[in-house]
Amino acid sequence: MEAAVVDPGSSLLKAGFAIPDQSPAMIIPTQMKRMIDDGSMTDNPVVDEVAIDPVCRGYVRDWDAMEDLLHYVLYTGLGWEIGNEGQILFTDPLCTPKANKEQLVQLMFETFNISGFYASEQAVLSLYAVGRISGCTVDIGHGKIDIAPVIEGAVNHIASRRFEFGGIDLTNFLAQELGKSNPLVNISISDVEKIKQLYSCCAEDELAYQKTQNSCPVETHTLPDGQVITIGRERYTIGESLFQPCLLGLEAHGIVEQLVRTISTVSSDNHRQLLENTVVCGGASSMTGFEERFQKESSLSSSAIRPTLVKPPEYMPENLSMYSAWVGGAILAKVVFPQNQHVTKADYDETGPSIVHRKCF
Amino acid sequence: MYGGDEVSAIVIDLGSHTCKAGYAGEDAPKAVFPSVVGAIDQMDIDGTGDADGNSGASADLQNNAKNNDSDNTKGKCKLYVGSQSLGYRRDHMEVLSPLKNGVVVDWNIVDNIWDHAFRECLLVDPKERPMLLAEQCSNTQEQRERAAELMFEKYNVPALFLAKNAVLTSFASGRATSLVVDSGGGSTTVVPVLDGYVLQKAVTTSPIGGEFLTDCLMKSLEGKGITIRPRYSFKKKEIRPGNLQTVDLDFPHTTESYKLYSQRVIATDIKECVCRTPDSPYDESAYSNIPMTPYELPDGQIIEVGSDRFKIPDILFNPSLVQTIPGMESFAEIAPSIRGLPKMIIESINKCDVDIRRELFSTILLTGGTASMQQLKERIEKDLLEESPQAARVKVFASGNVTERRFSVWIGGSILASLGSFQQMWFSKSEYEEQGASYIQRKCP
Repeated sequence: MEAAVVDPGSSLLKAGFAIPDQSPAMIIPTQMKRMIDDGSMTDNPVVDEVAIDPVCRGYVRDWDAMEDLLHYVLYTGLGWEIGNEGQILFTDPLCTPKANKEQLVQLMFETFNISGFYASEQAVLSLYAVGRISGCTVDIGHGKIDIAPVIEGAVNHIASRRFEFGGIDLTNFLAQELGKSNPLVNISISDVEKIKQLYSCCAEDELAYQKTQNSCPVETHTLPDGQVITIGRERYTIGESLFQPCLLGLEAHGIVEQLVRTISTVSSDNHRQLLENTVVCGGASSMTGFEERFQKESSLSSSAIRPTLVKPPEYMPENLSMYSAWVGGAILAKVVFPQNQHVTKADYDETGPSIVHRKCF
Repeated sequence: MYGGDEVSAIVIDLGSHTCKAGYAGEDAPKAVFPSVVGAIDQMDIDGTGDADGNSGASADLQNNAKNNDSDNTKGKCKLYVGSQSLGYRRDHMEVLSPLKNGVVVDWNIVDNIWDHAFRECLLVDPKERPMLLAEQCSNTQEQRERAAELMFEKYNVPALFLAKNAVLTSFASGRATSLVVDSGGGSTTVVPVLDGYVLQKAVTTSPIGGEFLTDCLMKSLEGKGITIRPRYSFKKKEIRPGNLQTVDLDFPHTTESYKLYSQRVIATDIKECVCRTPDSPYDESAYSNIPMTPYELPDGQIIEVGSDRFKIPDILFNPSLVQTIPGMESFAEIAPSIRGLPKMIIESINKCDVDIRRELFSTILLTGGTASMQQLKERIEKDLLEESPQAARVKVFASGNVTERRFSVWIGGSILASLGSFQQMWFSKSEYEEQGASYIQRKCP
């Protein structure tokens, strides 16, 4: 049986068997609803539903919810049988605290009784997915943005940067703006999320953005419950805020500027290698016009440090940037598990959760 | 007595230029950031907004900022720690350092730096982890007690240990006896270590460190008419396809200290890329015709660095060279009393007992950021061979890996804190509560 690869993100959880040139079998939202079970099966109009996010800003926060989610994913989704669990590979974001890793290993071995475990960092896996072992990954996720230089498969932690800013902040901002321009309409966050995915785009450059702020074609959108809203220049603001976070009131530089600064921290022998192999992945990167804008902004930096984006290989599925960490995980799983470099049940029983720091990096 | 071998300790090395922090047992620190903070004095402006997650904690601070006119009023100061926060230009943000001449003068800033390392970089809870702090050899008893107080009272660490920098470097190379030459950001110190203990009377220091060399380079370039534009002060615009133009941005409220800090960052990079230690003492005429090396500044300007490449590192060996650099006259008065590196090494060894001198000569360890300069090891060996007594066999050790040289103090701490035999040496919280902070002198020699 193939190993399972799970990439728990703040918004979507990607899971599947380790078949590298296919998209993951399951891409489900991580958000769960807690139902108060009071025994009655009838539709109770005052049902207390609380939305739970087990993964917050990239890290697992709610372990009980995570356990339920994984239970569903592994047994119902992937078809594992109790008693015959296989091997599993997890992906971690940058700067995951040691305690989190240990807790995950403990959960997997003790509750799920798996036979083998491996964990790897998302930055490295995204590079594997495009066929490189060195380069720079810019991962724009729902809960966080990670910029990590990777050299020969090892993340340079000292130079990498992490921002607690991601798709979720863009959604909140859009909700606020839509509320201002459509004061009579009541929109739920999940609808805003969908609107963001449909309509957001990036202006070609700063001048073009300024123009849209002055005048922009207004589109109308019909919500599922029938209400109609108008969307105008907010669409461009969403894309622009990745390049100018001060629009959202944040004191930080845009993505390209941060990338350039990160790379200039690394020793100069590696600069060329990192810059020529820059990978952008994550949900927000599939925005219309994002890649072109990224290239444009990077051409404005000095010629010694000018990032160029890597094209995914042709044999990879479309939309690779949405789940490149998962695909990289699938590639890695095919290497690690057959060669017995993973943490086995025997290792765990002998040493305890801290084995994960020694065997997985 | 604290015997927690399941939980790995945290090792922190607060240097004058960078702070290194990470878990014990690992081979490199996870968190490396500048040990200066940006401070915005809340009295000057009304309500600065809260940055998202990247800002340091705000703190009550007695108003001792130099530019303030009001006298002795307690004001609120917002501090920004870490390279991400410092990299963003803010109005009125001053750059402050907690250290002066290697000694901590502002414990509040140190507190914020540690807080940033724990809460934002490493994401650990200090209550659960023993701490190993690296300290200067010249640290006073009072400083150590302050550090212990801060750690135990504010962070509630379960156990603490203060180890001297030189001893940790010695451990990192696997030796208990050696002569450690630590050339860091703020100063250069030569310390003999015997069986894991520092010989205090033979310690020699010099204020010439990496930051000083960076300043010399900056003044030298300015003297040649090259201005280094900080990253925030320009923007590139595309006026025609393929044709870029650099536009100057004006930020009138940027403080002088921040501008200097940003320029220093760029100058440090130039120094690290371009400078090389000359094989023989620097001679103006000999080096006037060497080919220039080009370097591209962030704003696209390409500068040519010629004789400065060799002059700047040679200041370590010959401090009086500083007087030839325009703009560094303020240093000229104290220059005569500072000796070059080989002389410092000889002086330090001569202050030790005769019997160990031979061993010290044959195990000289080179460490620190500035020591990663190319060809430094060979030049020191050559100079020492000339000046040392005939019978001595001089051997200088420097790790080939640049990361190891920069962080060898931290690495030594990581090794020490993960040794099984070290676990009984921790100064635990209960001992602190029973015996008080002064007990640290006995527990951490």
